[in-house]
Amino acid sequence: MGRPQPTSELLPGTLDLLILRTLAPGPMHGYGIAQRLKQVSEDVLQVGESSLYPALQRLLLNGWVKPEWGASENNRRARYYTLTAAGRKQLAREREEFDRVIGAIQKVLDMV
Amino acid sequence: MSWSVATRLARAWHRLVFRWRRVELARDLAEEIEFHRALHQNANRRAGLLPQAALELSHRQMGNLTLASEECRDMWSFMRLERFLQDLRYAARMFARTPGFTAIAVLSLAVGIGGNAAMFSLVDALLVRPLPYPHPDRLIRITGIDPRAAVSAFQQQSRTMDIAASSVGSDFNLTGQGEAARIFGTAVSANLFSVLAAPAARGRTFQTGEDAPGRDAVVVLSYSLWKTRFDGDPSILGRVIALDGMHRQVIGIMPAGFSYPSSKVQLWIPLRLDPSNFLEYWGGEFVPLVARLRPGATVQQARSEIHALVERFRKTFPYPMARDWNADATAIPLQQDLVGDIRGKLIILLASVGLVLLIACVNVASLLLSRATARRKEIALRVALGASRLRIIRQLMTESVLLALVGGGLGILLGMSVLSIFKSVLPSSTPGLAQAGIDWQVAGAIAALALATGLAFGFAPALSASQVDLSSSIKSGSQRSTGTVWTRLRSWLIASEVAFTVVLVVSSGLLIRSLYSLSEANPGFEPARILTVRISPDQSACTKRPACIALYGGLLERADKVPGVEDAALANTVPLDGELPTLAVDVERHPKSADFPAPMFWAGAVSPDYLRMLRIPLLSGRRFTEADGEKSAPVVLISAATARRFWPGENPVGKHVKSTDESQWRTVVGVVGDVRQFRLSQGLPNWVAGAMYMPYPQAVRQDGQIPAAMTLLVRASAAGEGLVTRIRQLAVDQDPDAPVGQVQPLEQVVSASIADFRSTIRVFISFAAAAILLAAIGIYGLVSYWVTQRTYEIGLRVAIGATRQRILSMILAQGLRVALYGIGAGLVAALALTRFLASLLYGVQASDPLTFLAVTALVLGVAITATAFPAWRAARIDPVRSLRVE
Repeated sequence: MGRPQPTSELLPGTLDLLILRTLAPGPMHGYGIAQRLKQVSEDVLQVGESSLYPALQRLLLNGWVKPEWGASENNRRARYYTLTAAGRKQLAREREEFDRVIGAIQKVLDMV
Repeated sequence: MSWSVATRLARAWHRLVFRWRRVELARDLAEEIEFHRALHQNANRRAGLLPQAALELSHRQMGNLTLASEECRDMWSFMRLERFLQDLRYAARMFARTPGFTAIAVLSLAVGIGGNAAMFSLVDALLVRPLPYPHPDRLIRITGIDPRAAVSAFQQQSRTMDIAASSVGSDFNLTGQGEAARIFGTAVSANLFSVLAAPAARGRTFQTGEDAPGRDAVVVLSYSLWKTRFDGDPSILGRVIALDGMHRQVIGIMPAGFSYPSSKVQLWIPLRLDPSNFLEYWGGEFVPLVARLRPGATVQQARSEIHALVERFRKTFPYPMARDWNADATAIPLQQDLVGDIRGKLIILLASVGLVLLIACVNVASLLLSRATARRKEIALRVALGASRLRIIRQLMTESVLLALVGGGLGILLGMSVLSIFKSVLPSSTPGLAQAGIDWQVAGAIAALALATGLAFGFAPALSASQVDLSSSIKSGSQRSTGTVWTRLRSWLIASEVAFTVVLVVSSGLLIRSLYSLSEANPGFEPARILTVRISPDQSACTKRPACIALYGGLLERADKVPGVEDAALANTVPLDGELPTLAVDVERHPKSADFPAPMFWAGAVSPDYLRMLRIPLLSGRRFTEADGEKSAPVVLISAATARRFWPGENPVGKHVKSTDESQWRTVVGVVGDVRQFRLSQGLPNWVAGAMYMPYPQAVRQDGQIPAAMTLLVRASAAGEGLVTRIRQLAVDQDPDAPVGQVQPLEQVVSASIADFRSTIRVFISFAAAAILLAAIGIYGLVSYWVTQRTYEIGLRVAIGATRQRILSMILAQGLRVALYGIGAGLVAALALTRFLASLLYGVQASDPLTFLAVTALVLGVAITATAFPAWRAARIDPVRSLRVE
């Protein structure tokens, strides 16, 4: 939908891609996703909770991830998100699209 | 974003599932977020913060989650729809809280929309829906009066049209199928069906040449005749039936919807085109022509060709024709011709129904306007709580559209009954009338109308209400808020409503006066206690004059002997029964010329007692006696108007007239009073120059034969069912092969002749009554609103010494001013519009001062009554309480 993404630091639509990519190795809960993104990006990408949860709902709605309640590391009830088959396909598609756009931007920046 | 179809489907499906599970989902989300926060808190603790600080920091770290969960909730629902449903629920609750207002508004709309629904379906069926033939726009009517000879001449000469003809139609005796029956049929040229491109449902239609003498013993039946008379038996095809004593083979059955030239027609026979039958071919009955334009030909070409054809044909008449014969003959669309004079009536009905809807809308708009003002405080509160102006307008519009839709639904139900009333007002033979009904198309149009009405009357109030000044409204509530523009608009609305009402009431007043004049009009005869019954043997039974004279002489004798019968008489027609026997006549010393051809006379054939029985006065000369027999000198009686027209200032007794086709003159032996033979309002049509009576034994039709179909009249000493059956049995016994009609009191024949007019008046009166009621409600609402608005001011006035009378007259004056403006405008509009009613009026001018005066008084009276209630309430306002409210 045309709703603007609240994460202004990210390119539009990339939050979904990042979440999907983060989930690719295996199920994770919301806090885990946020921490993982922060850690992998060496603190560059800080995803606020107020954008993370709507984004997760959006992925749920599109059927790209599927939720499951399970026990967390400290034995509390936590919601884990798993990539679905459709989510995997979407990840591949979005990644390709992202590479294409980045490549194009790179070309423009590299021009003499 | 480009999503695959699978994703779209998944989204839609999930949305639906989430919508149902949203409570659960919200709980999950809350728990998940709380878990997230708890992990932050743990991390903070591990980083060495104190428990309280760790908790506080974790809350800050989470940021503003209200918006986020709002966003999530949006994803779990159909927001726009939900908001609309919410508005709808709210509107329904508001309406339930004010049942009086709601009932008035919905009923107003139902009346307006129902009337329009009925009207729309009529207009659709009669004026809009094309004729049920292929390429109906190529079908035209050739106007003018043409004898049969013109049919073959035009058919041969025309290059732009395929021309067909159909007679006006007449009753046929169908015998040999149970009790003899009168069936209405019409004679058509053999090519009529192919010109209309209407094939038979079973069998075939006429073939070329079947209108030639000797080959024309065939008949095509209508679907309904086949179903009712022949039980839908397919083996009727090829069988022979007797019509007016002539045997004809049934060759085809038309489909159910086929009705040409009118839906009265039950069978079609070939129109005989026989040059050797001089009278029938050149004179006698005239046949309306219909044509289909040939491919490539235009109406313009057809018109100029018709002009040439008429000019050429005029010269071929075997006797001199008037120079202006058919000079104005032209081509008009067939549909326009078939609808004919109903068009005017339809437009009058449409206009008045439109007025009622307009009044209803105005009323509802005005009611909503005052409600919107009364709800300022509530609306201001909603604005203060963050509702946008658009949201407020949408809420108010939802209310008015809901109102309109409920009104529309009721309107459709009402429309069905209104439609049946309308149908009774229009002649039942109108093609397409039977098919008029509220179908889905009409229902769709009504839904659109209701929606448009709702938007239209909801818009101004919504706009007015949304311009709320927050602080002042909440502080003062509704008691003193002004909004003068909207108040003035309301006054205008009510004044125009009164004006519309005046137009409708004046119209119905004029019609009621017409009906009164009609009922008071002297028809020239006395119908009381007279029973009539029509006996219609085949004309072939009367080829021998003495046989028929003896037949009816015997019937009279036997009727006289029936107990309960005071008097019996015979006539070929009774006044107002719809028959119009005429003869072309020569009048002594009134030579014919090309410009003044033979005049047509109404020609009655009566037994000697007839005139005395109907109390038709003898003005001079003598009546008929038994001595005026077949062999004695031929005599006639003429009407007073005929005497004045042909022998002004002279004594007509002793003068002579005769049918154009006989040689012996008939002597005028007396003058009798004028009788309204054809219409109560008119007497005889314009083209009938005079009226004469002949003694039955001497009577002739245009073809020289004695009339075969007669009406038996008896004066009953005491009415009773027994007499009715005895009289009918008498007629049936006379000749089992002759169809006998129902026994009808003459008074009933008279009142049936104006039944159409009566129902038109009923419709108008109900419109006018609805309009008055709506206007009264409108005025009442307006003045009540003023009083509510000015409670504070009135309290103040009373407090500083104004008397109750003064307050009462102040409010009354204000209400009456609006009513008077409306009445004034309405009278002017009525003066301009009522002349369109002129064709329906009788014995009263379209600008009849008495009616206008009475209507003014009536509407003013209603306005005063409607104003009086709120004014009285204003006069009783307690100053202490009204001032303390602030």
